[in-house]
Amino acid sequence: MKEKKKSTRLRILSWSLVLCGLYFVFLPNKYTSSSFFDFFKGEPVGVEDSINLDAFSRIPVLRGGRVKPIDSVARNTLLVLRNKRTALDSNGTKVPAIKWLADLLFTPERADAHKTFLIDHDQVLGLIGKKLASDGKYFSYLELEPFVEEIEKSAQDASKLEREERNYFHQNIIELYHGLVLYRNLKTTLAPPPHAPSSAVHDHSRLSPLFYNAETDSGRSDEYKRFRKLTADLANNPDKVRMGNKEAMGPLMYFIDYYARYNLYAEFFPLPPEFGESGGKWRKIGESLVGTEPLESKEKAKIDPARFISTVQALVASSDADLPDQIKSIRQNLKMDPSALFAAQYAEAIKLRKGIDPIIGNYEQLENAYQTGDAQTFNESVEKIRAEISKRAEADISTIAFEKTYNGYEPFYRSSIGYLWIFLIACVSWLISAYLKPGQAQSGAAKALLNCAYLLTGLVLIAHTFGLVGRMYIEGRPPVTNLYSSALFISWGAVVLCFLTEKFLRLGIASAMGSLIGFGGLVVAHNLSIDSSLNPSGDTMEMMRAVLDSNFWLATHVVTITIGYSTTFLAGFLGIAYVFSMLFRKLTRSKNKGKDLDRTLVSMIFGITCFSLFFSLVGTVLGGIWADQSWGRFWGWDAKENGALLIVIWNAIILHARWAGIAKVRGLSALAIFGNVVTAWSYFGTNMLGVGLHSYGFMDKAFVPLMAFIGSQLAIIGLAYLPALFSLFFKASPKTA
Amino acid sequence: MPEKPKKSISSLSERRKRFAWLIPFANLRITLTLLSFSMILIFVATLEQVRIGIRGAQAEFFESMYGIWHYPEQFWGGELLNPLPIPIPGGYLLGGLLILNLLAAFITRFQWTGKKMGIQFIHLGIIMLLVGQLATQAMQEESRMQINKGESKNYLERFHGVELAFIDVTDAQTERVVALPEALLEQGGLHYSEDLPFKVRVLDFGPNCEFNSLPPANKAKGPTAGVNRGVIQSANLEIRPKPEDFSSEGMNFGYVVFELLDGAESMGTWAAISHPAGNHWWAQINPKMGDLAFQPIRTNGRLWGVTLRPEREYLPYSIELIGIANEFYQGTDIPFNFESEIVLNMEKNQSRRALVYMNTPLRHEGKTFYQYQMNKSADYTVFQVVRNPSWLVPYIACILVSIGLLWQFSFHLVRFLNKNSGANRATV
Repeated sequence: MKEKKKSTRLRILSWSLVLCGLYFVFLPNKYTSSSFFDFFKGEPVGVEDSINLDAFSRIPVLRGGRVKPIDSVARNTLLVLRNKRTALDSNGTKVPAIKWLADLLFTPERADAHKTFLIDHDQVLGLIGKKLASDGKYFSYLELEPFVEEIEKSAQDASKLEREERNYFHQNIIELYHGLVLYRNLKTTLAPPPHAPSSAVHDHSRLSPLFYNAETDSGRSDEYKRFRKLTADLANNPDKVRMGNKEAMGPLMYFIDYYARYNLYAEFFPLPPEFGESGGKWRKIGESLVGTEPLESKEKAKIDPARFISTVQALVASSDADLPDQIKSIRQNLKMDPSALFAAQYAEAIKLRKGIDPIIGNYEQLENAYQTGDAQTFNESVEKIRAEISKRAEADISTIAFEKTYNGYEPFYRSSIGYLWIFLIACVSWLISAYLKPGQAQSGAAKALLNCAYLLTGLVLIAHTFGLVGRMYIEGRPPVTNLYSSALFISWGAVVLCFLTEKFLRLGIASAMGSLIGFGGLVVAHNLSIDSSLNPSGDTMEMMRAVLDSNFWLATHVVTITIGYSTTFLAGFLGIAYVFSMLFRKLTRSKNKGKDLDRTLVSMIFGITCFSLFFSLVGTVLGGIWADQSWGRFWGWDAKENGALLIVIWNAIILHARWAGIAKVRGLSALAIFGNVVTAWSYFGTNMLGVGLHSYGFMDKAFVPLMAFIGSQLAIIGLAYLPALFSLFFKASPKTA
Repeated sequence: MPEKPKKSISSLSERRKRFAWLIPFANLRITLTLLSFSMILIFVATLEQVRIGIRGAQAEFFESMYGIWHYPEQFWGGELLNPLPIPIPGGYLLGGLLILNLLAAFITRFQWTGKKMGIQFIHLGIIMLLVGQLATQAMQEESRMQINKGESKNYLERFHGVELAFIDVTDAQTERVVALPEALLEQGGLHYSEDLPFKVRVLDFGPNCEFNSLPPANKAKGPTAGVNRGVIQSANLEIRPKPEDFSSEGMNFGYVVFELLDGAESMGTWAAISHPAGNHWWAQINPKMGDLAFQPIRTNGRLWGVTLRPEREYLPYSIELIGIANEFYQGTDIPFNFESEIVLNMEKNQSRRALVYMNTPLRHEGKTFYQYQMNKSADYTVFQVVRNPSWLVPYIACILVSIGLLWQFSFHLVRFLNKNSGANRATV
């Protein structure tokens, strides 16, 4: 009777834990806005008469070489500025990323009050006269504005130093400065910076009537239209293109220069390729008006004015059909001739770039509506922009809706929390079973918790897997493309193996260690994503460098070698599990000698090390073949190659030591734990050397954590031998029974 | 009398009897020791790459019997430990011993049976990898080929190593070139060739140096003290020898001082320096030194020029550069393509077009040309050219190893799963 009651209670406990897991993995919560089911639903319908930011967040733009929803731009830039994917308003309340970006683009004075910048280095805080204790670590642009010049100066001084000479202050001040530039560029992406108030070079009386005037114009497009009128007149009358014609040429030169410079102050590309443009590129607003400058601005000083003007005139005089080819030929054949190159840009601005992109006007309406709170116009303009983009860039935007939902689902955040819970549950179940008397059957509670941990691992694994698959779908690439995704994949691989092991051996060891690696890997990944030197744009799905751009090798070499890392870490963590369970038994003077457990652990470590040897060896050899294919040599003693070789040799040492009978239980565990050190070195340490072909992910911030990790592993190895040392010294002492 | 049936060599006990002397060499503890030393070697050599470059570390540690390591000064306790020279067993030593150890194990420890076939395959593959790498390091050659757009080249230049070239340009149509390779320059002494109207006595040679132009009043010291002809004399250059810089960005200015002899009579003493980026750079550094690309020597009515330049290898074919492309992802500085369009002009008037880009090198007559550097505004491309006759060995080796690993581990996995699912059922 009592037994039955107890088992019912246990059943309720475990099922409620699993239900909690289900809820946590699939449904939205405070920190994640989308649920798993949003992927299968259409776009949510906005509430009438309220500004539909969800629809706005789905507008596609191009940033960092990739077309993505503007939502990703908002989240990624906040990740750079604030190390979080949300913003804070002036009162410290959380603001969704997209709201923050809308404020920044359309009502900058409101955004300037948001606490956008993370500054947590005391020296940098001192520079702006703040203290961590009283002022916190998040600051608004308004608070930083008075110090912008000082920050810029310090950052420029710091960037003059060699990379190795920079200390934490230098790194932090450079980061802050980059953040400020990023912020200002976002602000001026859709609205150009103000005109120079007065200029000695340009005749202001002719220019100022053309400038945008907030009182008489309906939007900035009115200025663009006036500029277009000017160029249309020149395009129709090429003989007006001459030096003496100050009336037209003065303003023309000013505007072309001004709009071309505006390109530099825009963070993303809002305008899709034009209709019928083959292999078309996305454009910034300035680019859509006047094209881009062919050389750096300072090269303009080398222009020969007479030849420049005559070239512009000749180009403008040629027919619409011939002009593109002529421009192309200049760009290909006269690469060192600034006069001809700039003339080509002028001719393009005057004659080829016609009209004004309708999307520019739509964005202006959006801006006005947002400022006045006119929800209907806002929502209509968003629809117009999206409709126009989907007509003009259909091929680019197939994954936009998915990415937007994916951003809100935050699969890796969910998984990391999930893993932490699983680890705790498994530990509790261990504690319960550790206090059992030997011989007593596994208690019901411990067993129920183990089953729970197992089921929950399966659930969380779904979210984790979905996260990886989602990235693959968005990027169109194999799972591992950079250091960030390798951390995601390593933890995933370890959890999968543990899940399978736990299926056969329901001991909780695999669940606990798998979830620990899962959690650790995801935390490492998060820290890699906020490392500004590794991820300057905040987008973890950045483009691949030319040499890495091979899906075949990414799918074979990179995946196998990463599984090799993953399994080596797993073996090492199982070794750690052995050390702690052994110490626990010794400390509690448990009667349970744990022979069975040890035997199981040894065979698990051994089996998994076999896996690691297989994957790391095959992965290394595949890397050699890739190197032979692309560089003509199999092995070059490059730092990363050597790192991989170290893992292979270490795994071989472990296995041979076992076969030779040199390493028994404790020895095998200690060797496996040292495998963690070797792998951590190969994985991160080699990148810190900054030499060789693979130094794509240079980072120095990770040095201290890496040393701490290595130190902790060595300490655990020491702990493993502590009881042996202890008994060595106290062997002589009489036994106290 | 019937012959006593001879025991087959494939039986382990017979092999152990016959090769008893090999048994100690096959010890697993030796393997473990050698592997542990390899780990130390690789780790130290990787660290040293920061200081002396990949090529330097390769020469010091991997391509030697032993290397000397000094604990890095900037590390913890460096000041104390740095002066201590620590010998590290080198790649050739460990590689050779490992091959020995493996071969001995093959003979005296491995069972040549189907069940253990995996083990044999793995170790055979590893022997091949080791031997292949030793062969590669002995035979592999790396050179570069720089081509300007619209031009054609038919020779490679070594990354390292120079040659002293004498060029007869008297005839406007053809040039005659006689070159002394670095090996001869290092050897020094007197060299002559029937194609040369004079003998060459090499007085001094070095792979790298510093140089500066002295005011006319000062007398140059060092290797160029005795130079009385040519650019070095007219620009009054002083040379200070430097050790070769092995790092990847290292700029090595090789130099040579030589005397020309007509019969037994000296024609004068010259010196030459090679510019690592090409001798056409001299004119940009200092107009007075422009002639280092071609120092004229007149003798017997013929005009010769002399220059010290990267060692060349002439090819029976030539490569013409049609165009280059260097593309970036929009709005980033991440390149997604470096590409050279070329025409390969081969013997017998054959020619073909080809594209050379990342992960897709040009392979022709045992050489691999891959995209190395590119200059978009100056319109030239640089290929790295590798000749590696033993390139096939690692492929065979890794097929062997993979088969072996799969074979062995599938055995283990099946046993592990069988045992544990059985055990589980028993406890339930």
